[in-house]
Amino acid sequence: MAIRGSAILGALALAGVSLFGLSAKAEDVTINVWSLDRDIQPAPNLISDFNKLNTGIKVEYRQIQFDDVVSEAMRAYSTGQAPDIIAIDNPEHALFSSRGAFLDLTDMIAKSTVVKTSNYFPGPLASTMWDGKNYGLPKATNTIALYYNKDMFKAKGLDPSKPPQTWDELVDAARKLTDPSANVYGLAFSAKANEEGTFQFLPWVQMAGGSYEHINSEGAVKALDIWKTIITEKLASPDTLTRGQWDSTGTFNSGNAAMAISGPWELDRMVSEAKFDWGVALLPVPEASAERSSAMGDFNWAIFSNTQHPAEAFKVLEYFASQDVRMFKDFGQLPARSDIAIPETGVPLKDAALKVFIEQLKFAKPRGPHPEWPKISKAIQDAIQAALTGQMTSKDALDQAAEKIKAVLG
Amino acid sequence: MKRFLSSMIDGRGFDIGLVGLPLAFLLTLSGLPLLYNIAMSLQEVDMFSLGSFWRPFVGLKNYRDLFAQPETWPILVNTATFVVASIAGQFLVGFGLALFFWTNFPGASWLRGLFLVSWVMPGLVVGAIWNWILSGDFGVLNFILRETGLIDGNIFWRSDPGFSLWAVIIANIWLGTSFNMILLSVGLSSIPRDLYEASELDGANVWQRFWTITLPMMRSSIGAIIALGLIFTLQQFDLFAAITSGGPNNASNVTQYWAWDLSFRQYDFAKGATISVIMIVFVMIASVVYVRSTRHEVRG
Repeated sequence: MAIRGSAILGALALAGVSLFGLSAKAEDVTINVWSLDRDIQPAPNLISDFNKLNTGIKVEYRQIQFDDVVSEAMRAYSTGQAPDIIAIDNPEHALFSSRGAFLDLTDMIAKSTVVKTSNYFPGPLASTMWDGKNYGLPKATNTIALYYNKDMFKAKGLDPSKPPQTWDELVDAARKLTDPSANVYGLAFSAKANEEGTFQFLPWVQMAGGSYEHINSEGAVKALDIWKTIITEKLASPDTLTRGQWDSTGTFNSGNAAMAISGPWELDRMVSEAKFDWGVALLPVPEASAERSSAMGDFNWAIFSNTQHPAEAFKVLEYFASQDVRMFKDFGQLPARSDIAIPETGVPLKDAALKVFIEQLKFAKPRGPHPEWPKISKAIQDAIQAALTGQMTSKDALDQAAEKIKAVLG
Repeated sequence: MKRFLSSMIDGRGFDIGLVGLPLAFLLTLSGLPLLYNIAMSLQEVDMFSLGSFWRPFVGLKNYRDLFAQPETWPILVNTATFVVASIAGQFLVGFGLALFFWTNFPGASWLRGLFLVSWVMPGLVVGAIWNWILSGDFGVLNFILRETGLIDGNIFWRSDPGFSLWAVIIANIWLGTSFNMILLSVGLSSIPRDLYEASELDGANVWQRFWTITLPMMRSSIGAIIALGLIFTLQQFDLFAAITSGGPNNASNVTQYWAWDLSFRQYDFAKGATISVIMIVFVMIASVVYVRSTRHEVRG
């Protein structure tokens, strides 16, 4: 009996050691966090600050690569080795929450004094929801708007204080600004056959009253027709089809495109590279009175459902949320919060641009949320590319996409 | 026991051991993954059942679904075009260069070594460089073609469905040529010189010597280089990822890139495995042809 007792004790001790890690104090609870943030980005810094508070919770951090986030998380979850907390790209969130892999935080958030759902922009918050419940918290956010070169506007007789407001105005301006002899295209954007293409196209569909469930609606067809006009009239480079947003906006910075559609992640590079006066405007809408919309990017925090310490993990998330005020000042990322003002940076162009992006964020909508988002997105990318290469009409391409999406939605 | 030991040291046991070790190695490292891949193509797999082996069996459903997709046949045709054009290009240019350096002018071996640089470079780096060269608006290739008067307007190599597959093929030929050249150079240098001397005495001209001596003597080298070329082109992935991402509208998509896209972008692991099985079939056919064509070979 005594032998058995000590054996059990020994086993418990061993389990304790392996659970809490050798470095942690005996009474500490260890919470594992995975994200793709590097040392100058939020997660590792917030975690080291949190650990200095000595709350009895010790957070351990592991950095994962962008391409590996989902596959690593899946493998870890299905073999029971998932971390407690993970940062997940927002269109992938529903994949995990719909399968019960993420913890339902609705009650904890309701009781929390730190986290209030009403403080978040509706788009980012919606991306963490599934079936009316909260399965995470937005980590940061971003969206897209229209950058334009004020000097070129002046040179072509356009009013630099009146950037295009509607789609027709946008195409008109692009026609006037396009100048093949000077190697200038009117517009730069991305219609690449990956998530970036969907990211850029879906806001247009939503502004025209469509959605991914109604991808072949009249408005969506009109949106794709406008894109087709821009490509076939060479108002944007044909390489728009294979170039991502970062490379496309690079041509704007070098003065080879007069307007560009992209997000706030361009600001720092643009401030240092663009040798002209530029501004940012809200995404043009189909007609003056139409509903606004925009894309929504960036990651969410979530807790895996098989965590041993849900309460402690949520405390860590509460700490992250409490530090959202530092998100822009220290790390240059936009918090997904409507109650936090973005501090002035002292760079006038950047401050003016950020105001537009914050305004645009109010209209940002998530992609999905749907557990099979990658397949829906792929159908949309295929339609964009089929139409823009002239292999199908916009209507046929989007009808085909609607067919594929219907099969996914079941 | 004693008999067993002696047979292990020198006899049947030794032979079996020699064959058995590599066979066991091959079975565990290549055979099992292959079988697992085939099993996966007959199952319903999603990311949460990735960790377990016992998943719902769906028979040939994945294959039927795959061939019901409109993009499947064009992608298979693209793959065939990519393989044939890449191998042909790499082989012809490589053989030409090998013959050129075989003439042994001063500095030939030094120059030949320099050519290997392209083979040493990682595929993603080569892809990134070709990405710039092939860029539509500011690419070097368009610049050269325009300046020499070959084209009037820019060709959008990456974004024009008529050119995008060829853009990757050009980059792949550049990447694989030097490897072809080196292997073929080795083959050339192993041909005994006296054969040429004898035929010259008999009055054979350059063409006759090439067709009746060089080519037949190079048969095994050529067979090997084409078999290897097939393997290298079928696993060429980096260039697609770096230059076209299979676009536009799948115009430059090939099975190996598509399998990755299905598995790791759309998380449809069963379909990804299904495509891999189809690729295995083609590689098997090619290797049977290769083995048969070199079976009666006599070295000398």
